[in-house]
Amino acid sequence: MSNVDKLLAKFHEAATNPKKQLDSYLKNGKKVIGCVPVYTPEEVIHSFGYVPFGVWGADVQIKEAKRYFPAFICSIMQSILELGINGEYKGMSAIVIPSLCDSLKSVGQNWKYAVKDIPFIPMTYPQNRKCDSAKDFLNFTYGKVIKNLSDIDNIEFDDKKLAKSIEVYNKHNAAMRRFQKLLSEKPVLTAVERKDVYKSAYFMLKEEHTDLVEELNEYLANAIYDGSKTRVVTSGILADNENLLKIFDENNLTIVADDIAHESRQYRTDAPQSNSALDSLVEKFRNMDNCSVLFNKDKVRANYVVNLAKENNAAGVLMIMTKFCDPEEFDYVIIKKELDNADIPSLQVEIDRQMVNFEQANTMIQAFGEVL
Amino acid sequence: MSEEVKKKKKYVPNPNSAKYKLGKIVEKHYKEAIEAKANGEKIGWCASNFPEEICQTLGIKVVYPENQAAAIAARGAGEKLCNIAEADGYSNDICAYARISLAYAKIESAPEQDMPQPDFMLCCNNICNVMIKWYENIAKEKNIPLIMIDIPFNPDKEVSKEQIAYVKGQFLEAIKQLEEISGKKWNENKFKEIMKISNRTSKAWLEATSYCAYKPSPLNGFDLLNHMAVAVCARGTVEAAEAFEVLCKEYKENVKEHKSTFRVEEKYRIMFEGIAVWPHLRVTSSGLKDRGMNMVATVYADAFGLLYDDLDGLIRCYCGVPNSVCLESARDTRIDVAKRTHAEGLLVHTNRSCKLWSGFMPEMSRQVAKACDIPLTSFDGDQADPRNFSEAQYETRVEGLAEVIDSRKGDC
Ligand code: SF4
Ligand code: SF4
Repeated sequence: MSNVDKLLAKFHEAATNPKKQLDSYLKNGKKVIGCVPVYTPEEVIHSFGYVPFGVWGADVQIKEAKRYFPAFICSIMQSILELGINGEYKGMSAIVIPSLCDSLKSVGQNWKYAVKDIPFIPMTYPQNRKCDSAKDFLNFTYGKVIKNLSDIDNIEFDDKKLAKSIEVYNKHNAAMRRFQKLLSEKPVLTAVERKDVYKSAYFMLKEEHTDLVEELNEYLANAIYDGSKTRVVTSGILADNENLLKIFDENNLTIVADDIAHESRQYRTDAPQSNSALDSLVEKFRNMDNCSVLFNKDKVRANYVVNLAKENNAAGVLMIMTKFCDPEEFDYVIIKKELDNADIPSLQVEIDRQMVNFEQANTMIQAFGEVL
Repeated sequence: MSEEVKKKKKYVPNPNSAKYKLGKIVEKHYKEAIEAKANGEKIGWCASNFPEEICQTLGIKVVYPENQAAAIAARGAGEKLCNIAEADGYSNDICAYARISLAYAKIESAPEQDMPQPDFMLCCNNICNVMIKWYENIAKEKNIPLIMIDIPFNPDKEVSKEQIAYVKGQFLEAIKQLEEISGKKWNENKFKEIMKISNRTSKAWLEATSYCAYKPSPLNGFDLLNHMAVAVCARGTVEAAEAFEVLCKEYKENVKEHKSTFRVEEKYRIMFEGIAVWPHLRVTSSGLKDRGMNMVATVYADAFGLLYDDLDGLIRCYCGVPNSVCLESARDTRIDVAKRTHAEGLLVHTNRSCKLWSGFMPEMSRQVAKACDIPLTSFDGDQADPRNFSEAQYETRVEGLAEVIDSRKGDC
């Protein structure tokens, strides 16, 4: 096994065995806090010395969660609840659930009764982010999360520690952005390998992940790419199913950039310098944008996706639609229009976490690949 | 022969009745908006729970897409408009109110319920975040301003002073933006006056709905779902206050004279959870009436009765509307309503359109049913897309509920 293969194997191992990662942190005496999509103040959790651990559900059948959710709630939320009920997150000291969409509001309420052994910590983000009064409100709601975290071990919040955690996160963001950029220049990884890098980030401390990504980046910087693949951009909430991703490689498509919530959307915005570390986190959220769960009256995300495709010389855009995700379903229409106006071919593929048959997706993507 | 003549006789409502007055208010509301638009005034499309006191004070004409979508769906064109939105790429899983509204924004005409096209959008997401996406899209397509008041879902039972401050900041910002758009000026005294009228209307609405507690109830609970439109679109007007006061009087008289707008014997008293199934209103309503089942409890009764003393109080009210509160608050309000009205069963509309309403409804309704010790059943439906409802399932579930209530009464 070459060094890079070993490295990729590490990413794969972490990405595909979250339970193992969780248990190993717990065994080493670490406290772990679950972080539900789309954004959670991970830096705050990190500053307490806890491990922020991504909770985005998994491709499982839904049984127990049916007692709580009707069938028309997205499968990410359904499977998070299912896994919670089935003990997959056992050992976590708490779970932070933001209320950025209606389904997220519901999962938090259900969680309190469905998974009683893992306390629910709500995170309320203001949607009118640019409005002046949003600053104080965000300070207040971060403060509430801080209070909940403090209560776990009677640890006092320390702004200096938060400043250190912010450094760790900003550094990780930079490494992830560089990874994406290098991959755009030399798309030598398969779609599954690429996914492993993004997905593993949720199950590792960011400082550990940064080290691995930087090592991989060095390899990518020196890699040789023959330029034979068709370049595409992906957009959506989640695209981590290996059966779906394999279709990309089988059809010689390579993802050169993404607007996926589970992937690059996490790493676009750094926490800037500010009076205090907490203020800097407040500013970070206020600066975030181009996302279906963040209000923007001008819907700039549509242009963002067009530019992403242009800047990365992509031949087309694949809109990976999580079924029942209304924020994305609304954005889709506007994005599609802008892509059409810019003469950028696009394809919508609907997926969910219960999907086992990818025949249709395969046929659609294959046909799309041929057109490109 | 005489039977036939009777049937053909056109129903002429009494112009002094509340029903007539309320109907007229809605009619006038649309008519005035259409006229204002024709006269070059700027018109807004407004979310049902956007603080209407702002528009009333500024004298800005707004119309309510949710009311319109309900009317369109009730008059049978829900599917037609949903199809138009879907042909444009909107998923059929999106709230049908939004789909109907997006379609209307495109075709700009619907004989079932017309209203003027918007010059600006007034969004408030205290009922759902779908509102944000829906209004964003219309604002973008029409290239018009969007004014947003974000009222976050409150995970706690109390509304914090910080949340009030956040909303107040936006409230003031919204006034400024609207002054610029309309050229009209904010007048503090008028605002105080409007707050007074709104409270008067709310009081009358709450009193009217409180008559449901009488046994038998002097009203068919489904009436309230129809009257709600006025509570949404005209709360700050004297006409609305007066019409609801007349409604109170009528109900009071009904109680005295042992009459009711529920025209059959009231055998069962139930709580109905959720929005009406507008496209199948007749079927759903007669499915209850035919069994002597009256809806005496609905969370809407309290939802539009916003009582407050000042601006902070007003904001606190808007932070507490049904879809903006945590399970425990939502549950306790319902327990209170169900107990007050002596509901004997709970019928839940699992509304395909509304993810937030339905998203924690199973757990919440279990808790309500347990606390009130009443049976619970649910049916699948949709407030505006006729395709998501099965009459057979509805009938079976309602029948089942009646049987359980009977068996509990010990006379089965
Ligand atoms: S944003 Fe979409 S995918 Fe994410 S929780 Fe909300 S509905 Fe589900
Ligand atoms: S039905 Fe639900 S999703 Fe639709 S507008 Fe009303 S609250 Fe929002």
